[in-house]
Amino acid sequence: MAIDFHWRLPTHGCHSSIRTHNYDRGDWSPADDHRIAPGLDANGEADGHAYIDHLAEIAKAAESVGFLGGLIPSFPNTDDPWVISPLLARETKAFRFMIAFQPGFGNPVQVARASASLQRATGGRSLFNIITGGGGPAQLWWGDSFSHDDRYGRTSEWLDVFRGVWNSDDFSYKGRFYQVEHGGLPAQLRAEEFPEMWFSGSSEAALQVAAKHADYYLSWLEPFAQLADKFAKVKERTAELGGEQKCAIRVDLVARKTEEEAWYEIRRGFENVSEATRDQWRARAGDSVGAARLAALRPSEASRWEDLIIAPNLWGGFNLLRGGPSIGIVGSYEQCAERLDDLIRLGADGFILAGTPHLEEAWRVGEEVLPLLGHNAQALLEAAE
Amino acid sequence: MTTQIYWQLDASAEPHRSEPSLRAALPSLVRDLRKPTQNRYDYYAQIAQAAAQTGFDGLFLPHRREADDTRIVAAALAREVPRLRLIAQFPASSGSAVYAAKQAVSFQRATGNRLGWALAPDADAETRAAEGDFLPGDELDDRLDEFLTVARGVHGQRPFTFQGKHFEVQNGGFEDPLNRAAFPAVFLEGEREEDLGLSARHADVHLFGPGSPEHLAGLIEGLDGLAHRAGRQVAFGLIQPILAREDADEAARDAARSTTAPGTLVGSWDEVAEGLAGRIALGISHLVLTASPQLEQAYAQGQQLLPRLRARLSARAKAA
Repeated sequence: MAIDFHWRLPTHGCHSSIRTHNYDRGDWSPADDHRIAPGLDANGEADGHAYIDHLAEIAKAAESVGFLGGLIPSFPNTDDPWVISPLLARETKAFRFMIAFQPGFGNPVQVARASASLQRATGGRSLFNIITGGGGPAQLWWGDSFSHDDRYGRTSEWLDVFRGVWNSDDFSYKGRFYQVEHGGLPAQLRAEEFPEMWFSGSSEAALQVAAKHADYYLSWLEPFAQLADKFAKVKERTAELGGEQKCAIRVDLVARKTEEEAWYEIRRGFENVSEATRDQWRARAGDSVGAARLAALRPSEASRWEDLIIAPNLWGGFNLLRGGPSIGIVGSYEQCAERLDDLIRLGADGFILAGTPHLEEAWRVGEEVLPLLGHNAQALLEAAE
Repeated sequence: MTTQIYWQLDASAEPHRSEPSLRAALPSLVRDLRKPTQNRYDYYAQIAQAAAQTGFDGLFLPHRREADDTRIVAAALAREVPRLRLIAQFPASSGSAVYAAKQAVSFQRATGNRLGWALAPDADAETRAAEGDFLPGDELDDRLDEFLTVARGVHGQRPFTFQGKHFEVQNGGFEDPLNRAAFPAVFLEGEREEDLGLSARHADVHLFGPGSPEHLAGLIEGLDGLAHRAGRQVAFGLIQPILAREDADEAARDAARSTTAPGTLVGSWDEVAEGLAGRIALGISHLVLTASPQLEQAYAQGQQLLPRLRARLSARAKAA
């Protein structure tokens, strides 16, 4: 048995350090002497680079160092994974493009064609993180006015159709949201491997869809006991529903040679958090159950970084330092590897790891942490066999 | 404005080339070390390179149900041909207008605004049903209208709110830096009154099919008037199949041997260049050329026809 390790492509720019909060890679902040991709040349003119050039660097780093690929997130102000993936398809060799996608945004037959085309462009290197939507104002921004449970019903039907036209040249379907009559992808596209599906979503509606359609159930990191409980429930509930779930965790790491150095990064980052950033996190809203599970932890109210240490090597204030989930792993290379081993013991079959800056940390985590993995887990797995 | 000349990259043409499961096997005598990583996209990339190296301004990728998705193909080629414009055709039934606009903006940001959007003419009812599109035929124009209104709206305005029959957005609109990318040039086509009306309201370029200069002139004049009344300007384009050879006899011989598309201009390099120059003089500023096979003909037409055509255009410009 082997565990899947993916990295992540930051689609909203990147910081050159987790200590600071300005997006100095990509054009999400104003151009200055420090900003790159795009940056300014010696005459103060645009240097001709685009943010995709930096994403290409990260993808190449990740595939070189042993990550299978990377999650490509999608939010209102990010670049889009359906564009990034084909743009980088021909200059990467092994990187798997994990497209974060809300099924409601595309006709399932047309998206199946695009997906199979991307499989052909990449030699089968694309997969999905299917998202059914956080709801609230963000869904209406996207032009999607469906209610929470309707969205899951739609996702389920959407995947029925997506899979149906991929597997048959004469597929018909009559659902509540989608209908098809005698559809099917052309033979050359149908021959492609059906992409792996990673699911998110913690509600009962989400689990029902996952049981039917998902290969991996993806969760943000939560306190270990809580997460073990969640994975056990997901595996049990989806088994009852006739599915089989592997579980995966998306988590950021701050890994350094010593634990002290790692916490120093956190302290510096925390000291640079502005009141505006705290306000921004206070204002986040939506109907996502996953977000509500973490909402009990309120990093935006913390006055000392130490108050956010929730367990050995676990810090709960990451969302103050960058967009995304709150809990991450902080420690020496050995400690980070041990915590990942712990998570494998608790039922994790895959990971999406990340660190800031994504380029340098891909090399660091790949070279320093991945090689240490399995000291605990491997012994356990061998004992089990 | 100088005429933009595009080469057509049809993903469904020459389907056996670089398609691992379709290419003819070589006899066992021939040592064959081709790898599974070589695939159809290598052929697309060859055509794109051919067009780039022979002086075309861009590629036009028609939507083909039986082949790869054009927006995926365009993106997969974009970084290998950093000068070419990429006009990808797709149907308005592809989904959310907001999402389509967001993808377009990402493409523009990564490629220096080289994307064009060509909205494909709607397919017949049977085909639409096979593609999961059950909109009644008399609402298709409406949907295209709303699709473009919403896509441009979220790109250009914030907050953008829209409540239509087919699309709905509340408090939408792209933020900086996404809203700094140019919206892709919109190419529409068709000769129905409704098509011309849509173009008058939404198109940057209206693409006509091949026809006599008189027929084209009439269409151009009509649409120009419509656009003018809508307070807009629309540029005119032409998708023109060609069969041009060193001399007219050879062209006629090859035309007799092959099935040529209706309206194909057949003749010597000079004759075809003359025919094209005449049409451009009517006000065509975007010319999509297509010939088969796509790779060899990109070289042939790029090296032989384009210089002759450009010489005529610059002579006419000087004369004017």
